[in-house]
Amino acid sequence: MTVEIALFCVLGAPLVQAALILLLPKPPGLRDLIHIGFSLFAAGCAIYLANAVAHGETARIVLARPLPNVDLAFAIDPLGAMMAVVLTGLGVLHAVHAAGVVRAKQEKAPARLLAFIALSMCGVTAVAFSANLFSFFVAYQALTLAAFPLVAHRGDEEARPAARAFLATLLASSIGFFLPAMIWTYAIAGALDFQAGGVLAGRVDAFTANVLLVLYVLGIAMAAIPPMHRWLPASSNGPFPALVAIQALAVLPAGGIGILKVVTFVFGTAMEQAVIAAQALIVLVGLGMIAAALIALSKEDIRERLAYSVMAQSLAVVMGALLAVLPGEYAAAGLFAAALQIVALACAASTLVMAAGTTAAITGRTKVSDYAGLGRVMPWTFAGFAIASASMIGLPPFAGAWAKLWLITAAAGSGLVWAAGLASVAAILTFTHLGPLAANALAARAPTDAFKRPDGASILLAAPVILAAAATLSLLVLANPLAEFLSPIWARGAP
Amino acid sequence: MSAAYIDLARAHAPLLLIVMPLIGAALMLVSGPARLSWFVAGLVASAGAFVAVDFALGALTGAQPVAAVGVMLHVDGIGAFAAALLAVVAALTIWGAGATLKDSGGAAAPLALALMLCVTAGWTGALLAGDLGSIIAAVETAWLAGVGLVAVNASRDRAALNGALRMLSLGGVGFALMLLGAALFARAAGTSSMESLALARIEAPGLASAGAALMILGLAVKAGVAPLHAWGAAALGRSTSMVTFGVGALGMLGALAAMSRVAGYVMAAPEIGEGIQAALAGLGGVSVVVGSVQAVGARNLLRLTAYAGVSQAGCVLLSLALGSPAGFAAALVQLVAFAAAALALYGGASAGRVQTVAMLDGYAQRAPLASTAITAGALSLMGAPLTIGFLGRWRLVEAGVGAGWWWAAGLIIIASLAGVFYGGRLIERMYFRRANSAYAGEGGVWRVALGPVLVAAIATIAWGLAPGGLLRAATSASLMLGGISP
Repeated sequence: MTVEIALFCVLGAPLVQAALILLLPKPPGLRDLIHIGFSLFAAGCAIYLANAVAHGETARIVLARPLPNVDLAFAIDPLGAMMAVVLTGLGVLHAVHAAGVVRAKQEKAPARLLAFIALSMCGVTAVAFSANLFSFFVAYQALTLAAFPLVAHRGDEEARPAARAFLATLLASSIGFFLPAMIWTYAIAGALDFQAGGVLAGRVDAFTANVLLVLYVLGIAMAAIPPMHRWLPASSNGPFPALVAIQALAVLPAGGIGILKVVTFVFGTAMEQAVIAAQALIVLVGLGMIAAALIALSKEDIRERLAYSVMAQSLAVVMGALLAVLPGEYAAAGLFAAALQIVALACAASTLVMAAGTTAAITGRTKVSDYAGLGRVMPWTFAGFAIASASMIGLPPFAGAWAKLWLITAAAGSGLVWAAGLASVAAILTFTHLGPLAANALAARAPTDAFKRPDGASILLAAPVILAAAATLSLLVLANPLAEFLSPIWARGAP
Repeated sequence: MSAAYIDLARAHAPLLLIVMPLIGAALMLVSGPARLSWFVAGLVASAGAFVAVDFALGALTGAQPVAAVGVMLHVDGIGAFAAALLAVVAALTIWGAGATLKDSGGAAAPLALALMLCVTAGWTGALLAGDLGSIIAAVETAWLAGVGLVAVNASRDRAALNGALRMLSLGGVGFALMLLGAALFARAAGTSSMESLALARIEAPGLASAGAALMILGLAVKAGVAPLHAWGAAALGRSTSMVTFGVGALGMLGALAAMSRVAGYVMAAPEIGEGIQAALAGLGGVSVVVGSVQAVGARNLLRLTAYAGVSQAGCVLLSLALGSPAGFAAALVQLVAFAAAALALYGGASAGRVQTVAMLDGYAQRAPLASTAITAGALSLMGAPLTIGFLGRWRLVEAGVGAGWWWAAGLIIIASLAGVFYGGRLIERMYFRRANSAYAGEGGVWRVALGPVLVAAIATIAWGLAPGGLLRAATSASLMLGGISP
């Protein structure tokens, strides 16, 4: 298999997967087999691509040339390959879990749900491998449209307005902010290709750089930057398998990847020109992290609590990327912190949402006050929940700890001690809304009528939670190899 | 022998493009049953489309010399491009309208088809006419045929008379403006011939500016450019597919194309170019904003499409206002985008006899192909990437930014944002709502209606993915503003 074919497969497999699921919705076993099998195939292709990148190979596929000098193209680079491996790898666990949930909850239109999950995975993979701003924009819009049916899946009076808010926020921000920024970039540089070192490097003055940075950051609303975050709480109306895709594996990570790509490949050294905007945005995301963590504390519904919790984590990605504005050795540290934070967020958020989904499927409980003692009757699920909570909080040795360590180090090392302080306060607040919840679930007395189903959670529901939780430990040994893997980007792209 | 006839037809293609629909219209009146009339009209329109595309390809690539024999015709790049587009759209609309012949009343169908062919002939004449007077005569022919088309619908719905009356009165104002403008411009330029206009020396710039502005204003009325579009909602809001196709798609397209052609000539004169630029830009900006706002608030699908067309017309005017070949090329791409989106939306709606937005609830289950067409049209109107709508707006923004017109780029963004709301609403209703039981029994029109509509929907996406040929044609046409020499 050539690298180009692998790249084509990793992008195309979810499309075939979605089509087959829709064409063969019954029997459920075949449907689930297709879903899991193609997810495995996509993950295998992603690993192959990462290996190719590690060996210095390159690949680029051009699907169309819709504008003069602008291709709809996808290419491999260390950042995209790493994200694809993490997201498609967790996507396999999610595929297994989704198959379990739709059976346990007898979810309506399960084939449609699984098909759009597959399309969302295709969208985020396309975002990760996009070779230029135009391709990123197309993939971003496609991901938005693919995720919209996931939010609207229930089709009731709550789901429809939520889905409209989801769609309106993401499309309006991308057209209102990102598109003008893209056009402006094209006008300045005459090209939209992602370039190591930044396509805008040496081409923009301070004013233009500051305005462009604000437009890009607000335009990538998938990163949940206030006030463009409304889509995230709105998405909590979706069924649990949809929530995993939206909040952990596809939509939210796509925002982080987008911010990283823009900072690294569009601005590059031009970030030095955008100091004012970057610092203002760091203040915004820092306060946003604290506000989101506080709002999460006030939410009784586990889906809403997790939505705000992952929002706080996603903002940490943005903060890390924006720290690249300051010249010096810590700029690369900020970018690395952002990349690690996406990995940590994907692992922990998918574990938490899958655990909540398992709990809802087996016990019917979605209120956090009803979680007391559930860990005694669902020990594996809540062990995973506790590990993922620890990772979100930033407790060593879990993934979140290393990401936050790099983030705080980068902020403090760059002289932005207050930014490090904001990140620390947000971590403490994350502890307050997740720590007691996990502890209470494990330590309190077991409820007598816990199970809706007498046989408890099936292996399809429990195993993915445990394995995803185990993945949060991965950075303990993988942080350094990842730093080396990504180093070509920092070396050429960081200020 | 046949090769000689083909060469003869090619040599006189401009004349054929006007005469064929008129002969077809005459045949309608003697062809008897509605289905037979429709079939004959479809054949005539298809033949016209074939001739027009062949002619345009030859003219724009310089492979075929152009002759004007017997009547005052003058062929230029914009005229050749737009005439081909118009002829193709006419063929698609006539084939597409065939499925709902009974909606016009079976007996009235041949008359409606004849009027559609007259609309085609009229606007084609305006695109190929050799002098300003002929342009005005051709425009009026097309316009009055459009008024008749709306009025024919009165046997089904008396509200159509209101629409026809509004068209007649506002069109009369437009005619007066055009006539006065042409007279003033001809007086200032010393000629009304299109061939001479490109090289004319303007002796009285003020008079010429006023004349050109009045002509463009008159055409803007007929194109439904805001705020001169008061006839649009009344004429299209409760109409049949014949009317929406003939007036909403074909008529507006013809008027916009004719305006592009006239603008191309009058803006070539440096003495008056700036004033016309400002007028077009102002009118275009207002049209974009007003059309977008009205489309967001519309509850009637046909009106929504008409208002979206008004917004799109504003984009065409903004492109023309740039006055550069890049701007004219962008305008031509926008015309194609408008035509494809209008056909997809009007056709998708007529396939299920949908008139209000509420009737779209669950439409994807009742009519999946028609819903696909509406989705493609809506995405194009939004300016979604990989659609021709995106391409058109990108070209406009690219040309606008190149000229330092950032405000125009801002207006396009506003139009796209509005498109997200009204286009997104259509898609959401079709795919994510349950069918309203009151409308569940509707639909079931003859499936052949979907063929042309799907062609338009496919074109919307295909040209978004691979626009190379279209862009080359538009660029060639825009570089031949002064005319193609015989």
